[in-house]
Amino acid sequence: MSGLNAGSTRGVIRQGWSATVGDYAIAGGWSLGGEALMVGDAEGSVYAFAGKSGATAWARREIHEGGLLAMAVHPGGSTFATAGQDSRVLIWNATDGQVSRTIDVGSAWVENVAWSPDGRWLALSCSRQVHVYGADGAEAWRSEDHPSTVSAIAWSNAEELATACYGRVSFFEASTGKLQQKLEWQGSLVSMVLSPDGGIVVCGSQDNSVHFWRRDTGNDSMMSGYPAKPSALAFDSTGTLLATGGGEAVTVWSFLGRGPEGTRPGVLEYHVQPVTKLSFAPGAMRLASGGRDGAVVAWSLNRDGEGSRIGNGFLADVVAGLYWRPDGRALAALDAQGGVTVWRVGNN
Amino acid sequence: MNTQQKVPVSILTGFLGSGKTTLLNRILTEEHGKRIAVIENEYGEVGIDQALVIDADEEIFEMSNGCICCTVRGDLIRVLGNLMKRRDKFDYVLVETTGLADPGPVAQTFFMDDEIRAEFSLDGIVTLVDAAHIEQQLGRSDESTEQIAFADVLVLNKTDLVDDEALDRLETRLREMNRMAKVVRSKQADVPVDTVMNLEAFDLDQVLEVRPTFLEPEYPFEWTGVYTLDAGRYELSLAEGPDPAMSLVVVSDQGTDDAELREGAEWCVRRYAEPAEDVSPGDDIPAGKHVNLKLDIPGDKSFFLEVDTPQRVGLFAQHTAEEFDLQLKNAIGETIGHEAERTWVAQHEHDDEVGSIAIERDGDVDPERLNAWLGKLLMERGVDIFRMKGFISLAGESRRFVFQGVHMLFDGQPDRPWGDEPRRNQLVFIGRNLDEQDMRLGFDACLV
Repeated sequence: MSGLNAGSTRGVIRQGWSATVGDYAIAGGWSLGGEALMVGDAEGSVYAFAGKSGATAWARREIHEGGLLAMAVHPGGSTFATAGQDSRVLIWNATDGQVSRTIDVGSAWVENVAWSPDGRWLALSCSRQVHVYGADGAEAWRSEDHPSTVSAIAWSNAEELATACYGRVSFFEASTGKLQQKLEWQGSLVSMVLSPDGGIVVCGSQDNSVHFWRRDTGNDSMMSGYPAKPSALAFDSTGTLLATGGGEAVTVWSFLGRGPEGTRPGVLEYHVQPVTKLSFAPGAMRLASGGRDGAVVAWSLNRDGEGSRIGNGFLADVVAGLYWRPDGRALAALDAQGGVTVWRVGNN
Repeated sequence: MNTQQKVPVSILTGFLGSGKTTLLNRILTEEHGKRIAVIENEYGEVGIDQALVIDADEEIFEMSNGCICCTVRGDLIRVLGNLMKRRDKFDYVLVETTGLADPGPVAQTFFMDDEIRAEFSLDGIVTLVDAAHIEQQLGRSDESTEQIAFADVLVLNKTDLVDDEALDRLETRLREMNRMAKVVRSKQADVPVDTVMNLEAFDLDQVLEVRPTFLEPEYPFEWTGVYTLDAGRYELSLAEGPDPAMSLVVVSDQGTDDAELREGAEWCVRRYAEPAEDVSPGDDIPAGKHVNLKLDIPGDKSFFLEVDTPQRVGLFAQHTAEEFDLQLKNAIGETIGHEAERTWVAQHEHDDEVGSIAIERDGDVDPERLNAWLGKLLMERGVDIFRMKGFISLAGESRRFVFQGVHMLFDGQPDRPWGDEPRRNQLVFIGRNLDEQDMRLGFDACLV
C-alpha cells in the first residue's frame, strides 16, 4: 500500500509518498544509497520500499515472533540487520529480502543492534550482555553481565563500542572486548549518543536529566530540569550541537567555546506533546524533530543552538522514527499506527 | 493521541511458597480467552499456553537524588514499553514479584514514568500469605511486612495447614497492620478471580470502596458510664482487677445520646494524650483531667468525686466496669446505676512496627493548612508511609476531594458533589512507626 499523498506539509518539507506496515513502525533505515527504505514493525514484519515511489519492493511478515525491536543498516548500504523479541538477529540482503545469516542468542530479547562505522563488526545487546560478531559472522566476543540490562549501544569509532545501562557507560575494544573505560553515575540511563569524534558521550536519564562526560578528562556534567525523560538525543555531524528531547521543547546545547556548561541552550518550541525523535540531516545544521503529537518539524540551527522552524509535516500518530536520506534531500518518518511517510526536503 | 482505555496491571507479591504461581495459573485458566501478559521474576511454572510469559530480571533503579519514592523497576518500563506498541494490545498484565521484593518500586513505576502511566493503570496489589509460615517471616524480614502493608488484597493461603483459632489470630494481626486491605482465605489459592483482579484499587473513584468497619476509630479507653448526680460527695469503688492501675477521665456535663458520647470521647482522646496524674486510694479525682488510679494494693479501693451542681457526669475508663467491678456510690453508700453506658473499640498494643491509622472527622478542612500539614508529613515520613487513601471536605469546594498515594507520590482530585450528604473527612495511612496521636492532632489543626 502506498500513495503519493502524504498529508499537509509546509516550508522545506514537500509532498512525497506514504505507505503502511502492519503494526506500530518500530525502526527503519535507508539502504542502497537511498534507493530503498527498510521498515520493521511491532508484529515482527520487515518491509522494503522503493525510495522514490514508495512501491513495496518486498515484505516478510511476522518474521520476528513477538515483534521487532531494532534495525541497523550496514554502512555499505546493501545489507542490514534486524533484531527482535524472538532472541534473534537476522542479516538481510536489502535488494531481495533474503536472510543471509541468523544469530540466535537464546532466550533474551535482542533490544539493540549496531554496525561499526567501517562495517567490520556487528554488535548486539541482549539482557545484560553485548555480543560482537565479525564480518564473517563469527562471534568475536561477548561481554560479562552488566549491572543491569543494556539500554543502549553505540560505536565511538571503528575500534570501540560503547554501552549504557543503569549507572554506567562502558567502552569495549572492538576486536577483543577488553574493557577500556568505565564512566559511572547513579541513574537509569535510557538513551545514549556519542559526538562524531567519540570524545563526548551523552545519556538521557530516567530522572529527567541529561548527563554527559568528556572522555579525555573524565569530567562529567548534568543538565536537569527537563519535564520528561530525554529519550531522544542527537549530535550534528560537526559535534557542535547536541539536540535533546525530554519535554515538548527541543533543547539544543552548543559545545562551542567552553560550552555548554554555563550557557543557555536554544529552545525550539512547536510540539504540543513530548518530543520522541530527533535527527540531524547529514552534514548540515538542519534538525528534524518528531513528537507524540504526530508533528514533524524541520529546523535550521545556528552554531549557538538557536534556530528557526523551516518546515512541517504531520503524521496520524506518535512519531516513531525519523531517517534522513543520505543525501539529505528526503526525510522518512514512521508512526505508531504503522504509517511510513517520505517527504522531499527543499533547500529553503 | 492514544485515547484507548489503559491496560490494567495487577501486582502479585508474596514469599516463595506462598502460592503466587498457583494463583497465576488459576487466573490464566479461568480468564481463558483474554490476552494476558505475565511478567515473571523467578522460576515459576506457568503452564498456560495462550498467555505471553516474559521473564524479566527485577531491576530496581534508584535515582541520583536518592529518593526511595523515585525508585522504579527499570525492567518493567522496558518490557511494558515494548508490549504497549502492539496493535492487538493485552487485556491485562500480571506482574509477579520475587518473594523478597519491596512492592514500592513496582507500584511507583506506574506513577513515575509518564509513558507507562499513559498506557497502563495499576489495578491493585495482591499479596499471598502462607498462613503456616507468615508469622516466622514477619519476624525475620522487612520485605514480608512491606508486602502486607502495600496490599489491596491479602490472600490468606494454605489455611488447611493451620487451626481456626490461629487463623483468626493471624487475620487480626494482618488487619491491624493493613486495615485498607480486603482479606480472603484460601487453601490452594482457590479464590474467585474477581477478588484479585479488576479491583481498581488505585482508581480515585474507588477510594471509598473500602471495608466500612475499618474506620471505626480506636480509643485509649474501653468504657464510658454516664451518671445523673446531685451535688455532693461520691465514692468510686473498684475491686481487684487485671491491672495495677487504670486511666480515667471524668467529664462534667456529659450527654447520653450517641453523638454526645462521641463528642465526649473525642474530647477525652485529647485528655488521654496528656500525662496522667497519679491518684491513690482515698484521694479525690479531679474532673476533666487524665488520672491514673493506683490499684496496686490488695482488696477493694475507694476514690472520691466532688460534685458542685446537679449534672450528668461521664466516666471514661481504660477498662470496662466489669473488669474491676466498678461502682459509684452516694454519701450513704447506695450504688447508683448509670444512665447510659457504652464500650469503645480499644486501641491495641501494636506489636508490629507497621500499622494503619484511620482518621475520621466531620466538618471542613482549610486547604492551605492541609497542604502544609500533608506536605510536611510526606516530606518527613514519606519513606515510612506505604499507602494512603481517603477523601476530604475542603472548605469552599462543593465536591469531595479524593486522594490516594504511595510513599511520597500523591494523587488527588475533586470527584462528586457533596449535595445533602454531611461533609466529613476520612483518611487512612499505612506505614511504619507512625505516631497516631501526632497525626490526629495534626489533621485536627487543619479543620476549619
